[in-house]
Amino acid sequence: MLLEVKDLTIEFHDHDRPERVVENVSFSLDRGGILGIVGESGSGKSMTALAIAGLLPRKKLKKSGEILFDGVDLLTLERAKLREYQGDEISVIFQEPMTALNPTMTIGKQVEESLRIHRGLSREERKKQALIWLDKVEMDDPERVYEAYPHELSGGMRQRVMIAAAMVSGPELLIADEPTTALDVTVQAQIIDLLLKINEKEKVSILFISHDLSLIRQISHRVLVMQNGRIVEEGAVEQIFDDPKEDYTKQLLAAIPKVIL
Amino acid sequence: MRKLWKKYDNFHFHIGLILTSIIMILAITGIFYTPYETTEMNIAAKFARPSLQHLMGCDNYGRDIFSRVMEGIRNTFFIALITVSIGTVVGVLIGAATGYFGGLLDEILMRINDALFAFPSILLALVIISILGTGTINVTLALGIAFIPSFARIVRSEYKKQMSQDYIQSARLMGAGDARIIFVHILPNILPVLVSSVMIGFNNAVLAEAGLSYLGIGVQPPEASLGRMLSEAQSYLFTAPWYSLFPGLVIVVMVLGFALIAEGLSQKK
Repeated sequence: MLLEVKDLTIEFHDHDRPERVVENVSFSLDRGGILGIVGESGSGKSMTALAIAGLLPRKKLKKSGEILFDGVDLLTLERAKLREYQGDEISVIFQEPMTALNPTMTIGKQVEESLRIHRGLSREERKKQALIWLDKVEMDDPERVYEAYPHELSGGMRQRVMIAAAMVSGPELLIADEPTTALDVTVQAQIIDLLLKINEKEKVSILFISHDLSLIRQISHRVLVMQNGRIVEEGAVEQIFDDPKEDYTKQLLAAIPKVIL
Repeated sequence: MRKLWKKYDNFHFHIGLILTSIIMILAITGIFYTPYETTEMNIAAKFARPSLQHLMGCDNYGRDIFSRVMEGIRNTFFIALITVSIGTVVGVLIGAATGYFGGLLDEILMRINDALFAFPSILLALVIISILGTGTINVTLALGIAFIPSFARIVRSEYKKQMSQDYIQSARLMGAGDARIIFVHILPNILPVLVSSVMIGFNNAVLAEAGLSYLGIGVQPPEASLGRMLSEAQSYLFTAPWYSLFPGLVIVVMVLGFALIAEGLSQKK
């Protein structure tokens, strides 16, 4: 068991009334598994991901429960210790590849960043690793991309760069928070393929968060359906899609538009 | 130099670069060589008109104005440079810390900043000088301190703006520490704004130094200073107009040059 979340509850205290965004969420993720979390906006799926990534705001927030990663509780870990995991064991790719890259740093530097922070590698070693990964994410000309700045790349290329940057340190867990939402459909499919390939070759566990059921179906082994901060249903991907138990899941499935020719 | 000229291919930048180059050449030459000793008095040449011997004429003691202007530029230039450096370095540190961390630290430092900001910088410098005493070093220090608030404020607002960008989160997720995020990730992104405010700050520093010296509390005689020369020349405005004309002109060229460069830089192509 790589990741085990137990009774995770997150409450915001920045308004008059406390607001529960995640309530008693428990699930687990095996090594090499892909868990899809699906839900509408505001269902708490992104907050759950942020909590695992250690990115929850530090103020005006109450959290309880446990997030066990390899047996270590990330939720109560102090920030300096947490940083040793971030980018090394746990990596994240974001929704917006347009803004998630620093406009003033070359792609190469950004891909290398986690190696620079966590490993004492020489400049040549880092560059070698970065080029290997730029090649693994199927970039056409890694050498050229290495020297390029983000504005010279398209959205799909930037998302590939983000994946390379996330994977370069060989993490155990990759959290993908709506990684394809900002991309068009053909590029979406390519990115999903890429993630599946990486999962298979590198044996990295993936936590895939999306509101798009068809994507979840393509990529996940197990699926978690969330609504209003709670887990509605959990199961293997076939069970959720072919034999949903809960009404909400049925409604979600019914809402997938069907193309009738 | 040629690369810069090409990169910022606009009229403002070119004119600014030429004007500033002239001033810089005068300032740097002034360190090693001036046509006459700056304190050498020659009664025979008292109020001499501009001529080939004395390019800008002579003052009431018969000192060569051109030589004194060269020394004045040098003094003004270095005082302004150090002033702006103090303001920028401390301003960036304060601005970055308050903009990045926010919270109580932000509140406290920014309220102090507001209080300092409420005074015009010359007035603030006057207060500090009255505590420290006159003299070149004290004036530089006083102006430097007086310049911190405006830099801190600009840098803080830029950091606040950058904080909402996703790349900060990405950097944090890669395990980058606060210092690394502040200086390696964010600082390059605010450089364009910082550079043009340094340019404008430099101009303000030149004017402030000239102003303080004009009031007699800046550079002390017999050291030459553009501001002090103006105040001395005031009494001879009609007998020797060149005495006030040239130092004034040099101040104008200096400030204009830097202002044009700043303008040119912000225009890009």
